[in-house]
Order: sequence, then structure tokens, then C-alpha cells
Amino acid sequence: MKRFIGDFHVHTLLSPCAEVEMTPNHIVLRAVQNGINLLAVTDHNASGNVLAALEAGRKYGVTVLPGMEVECVEEAHIVTIFDTWGQLAQWQKIVTEARKSLPPNNANKFGGQFVVDAYDNFICEEKKMLLGACRLTAREVIDKSRALGALVFAAHIDRPSYSLLGQLGFIGEELTLDAVEISNLNVSELKEQKFRPLIGSLPYMTNSDGHNISDFIQGPKNFLEIKEPSVEEIRLALKGERDRKFKPGYFVGFNR
Amino acid sequence: MKVGEVAQLLNLTKVTGRGSLEMEIKGGYTSDLLSNVMGQAKPGMIWVTMQGHHNVVAVASLLGLAAVIITGGTKIEADTITKADENELTVFSTNMSSYEVTGKLYALGIINRQ
Repeated sequence: MKRFIGDFHVHTLLSPCAEVEMTPNHIVLRAVQNGINLLAVTDHNASGNVLAALEAGRKYGVTVLPGMEVECVEEAHIVTIFDTWGQLAQWQKIVTEARKSLPPNNANKFGGQFVVDAYDNFICEEKKMLLGACRLTAREVIDKSRALGALVFAAHIDRPSYSLLGQLGFIGEELTLDAVEISNLNVSELKEQKFRPLIGSLPYMTNSDGHNISDFIQGPKNFLEIKEPSVEEIRLALKGERDRKFKPGYFVGFNR
Repeated sequence: MKVGEVAQLLNLTKVTGRGSLEMEIKGGYTSDLLSNVMGQAKPGMIWVTMQGHHNVVAVASLLGLAAVIITGGTKIEADTITKADENELTVFSTNMSSYEVTGKLYALGIINRQ
């Protein structure tokens, strides 16, 4: 088994709400410096910086998984993570099709949406608005991305906005998620009592949901013991099967 | 006012078969945030929402709501209709916005008394 410190929800400067310092190169460099060796790059409804992140990952020796945070028609955020760029590219086609007819971005109001390469060079600006719901239902997002091989979790269910739990009141069994993400496990007992009846048997994850470097480094991570950094292994770890381990609520610099 | 009367006056499309149209409406609530509805709506109320997910049925049944009006021409999931019939809940569809529907209900005298 190998040990990983994993953060499965990180935004690059392609997300309008993320800071410009969140280039794939910078994220991966800071990950290495802080002992984070498993990352998923998950921009809002977009994947334009994923290839650069994969290249940066190879450069610094960090495993980067291609991902995307999708907003379903119920206005909840669902994070999808894949093993390969090819799978994500197929998923992007489906999401883009379901987001046709959305207005262009207003960069002054929402922030710019920048695509860069693995060396911090500017490539282009995404003009279409990346925030906003697509026409796929929560179940469609989950089923369709899983069919392409995704690991799927509901993002920040403990927050007031864009939470699947908040939007739907409870998470039914037909939503075949791998996990639910909570923002912080510091108040774990309270959250356990409050959320457990509403989410069934789903395991928890804690990710930074970093939109700037400080939040990315200081935000919660997960400790994993798995054979290799893949969707299947992470799924086994979340289920606690075959001696794989998944411990949410891990902070770099505090626990080591 | 009864569910059936409101449906007729607002020209709502009934998408379910088994719910009662005879229930007396005891007020109303408008929200798309189901967690909020769970905490705020009261038994006998009519609920106005754009959410077409089948959890709507679970929340409405749990609270004993009189009926649900799904607005804005929202596509209603097939599951939602099946589950509503299983729970004998009446669900309506309309192309009107939640704003319009709520205003019309209010004008019909459906207001929330303490």
C-alpha cells in the first residue's frame, strides 16, 4: 500500500471565482512543498486547464486526476473525477451540450476565466460563462459521469449554497454517489448527528475547494492508503474495503 | 378553498392521478430549497416550486401538504409522478412563474394565518 495526502476539489484560474495565482503549475508546486501528492483539478463545468495540470503533475511528481465540478439543474454542485483525460473530454462534451444558450461571462463582475499552459503562460480567455446550472438533473450528472468511469461526490453539503443536501432536503439511495464532501471535520460529531440521517450510508470526504493558494494549503485534505492513485482504488478506500484506508479531516502541517 | 377549485381558477395541469382534489388549502409556501421547505412549510399548505426532483414528493408527503405546483414549465421527472401517485399527493404543472402563481394564490385569499 502507498500513502497519499489527497485533495479532490481544487479550482484553477479558469474558474471565474478563483484567484489568478491558481495556475496549474503553481498549484502543483505548492502541493509538492506541502506533502500533498494526490490532486484533482475541478473547475466549474470546464476542463481547459486540466492538461496543463497533468503536465505539471508529471513535472513535479504529483498524481493529478482530471476532474470537473458540475452544477446540475437543481443548482447543486457535484464533483466528478476521472482516471484519464480522454474520459473527462467525453464528459466535457456532454456538459457543454447541456449548457448551451448560457450568456457570456462578465469578467468585471464574476472574474476572468483564463486558460494557461504548464509553465504559467497565458493561452486564452474563456468567454462563455462557466458558472450556472446545466440542464442535467443530479441523477443524470451522476449516472452519465459514472458510465464514463467517474468517481462522484456531492460538494460541500454543509454549506448554505449549491449543496445537494440543501437543494434536495435529503440524499436518496437512487443517487449513486461515492461520497459527500463536508467543508471541515473539526465539528465532526455535530455534523455526524445532523447529516447522517439525511445522507444514508455515504462516506465523508474533506477537500480544500481551494480558490486561492492559502485556502488550498490550509484547507482540509484526506489521508489515503491505496495500491495506486486511481478512481477504483479511491472508491475501495472510501468503502474501507480490502485494507484500503480513507481518513477525511487531515490537515497538512498539523498532523505530521 | 379546495385544491380542485384552485387548479381550475389558475388553469393548472394535473400530472398525477390519485391525489385528492377535495383537500382544503390552509396557506402556501414558495421555495426551491427543499431543506428550507422541510423546516418552514406546514401541513395543509400548497407548495409552489420550480424543482421537479422526486424528493419534492417525499418532502410534501412528510409534511402533509395539500398539493404541489411545479412552475416555469419545469420538466418533471417520471419518478416524481410515480411517487406522488403512490403517496396520493396531487402535483400540478404550469408554465407560469413561481412569482405569478404565488401572487394569484394570495389574491384568491390563500394567506398564512398564525
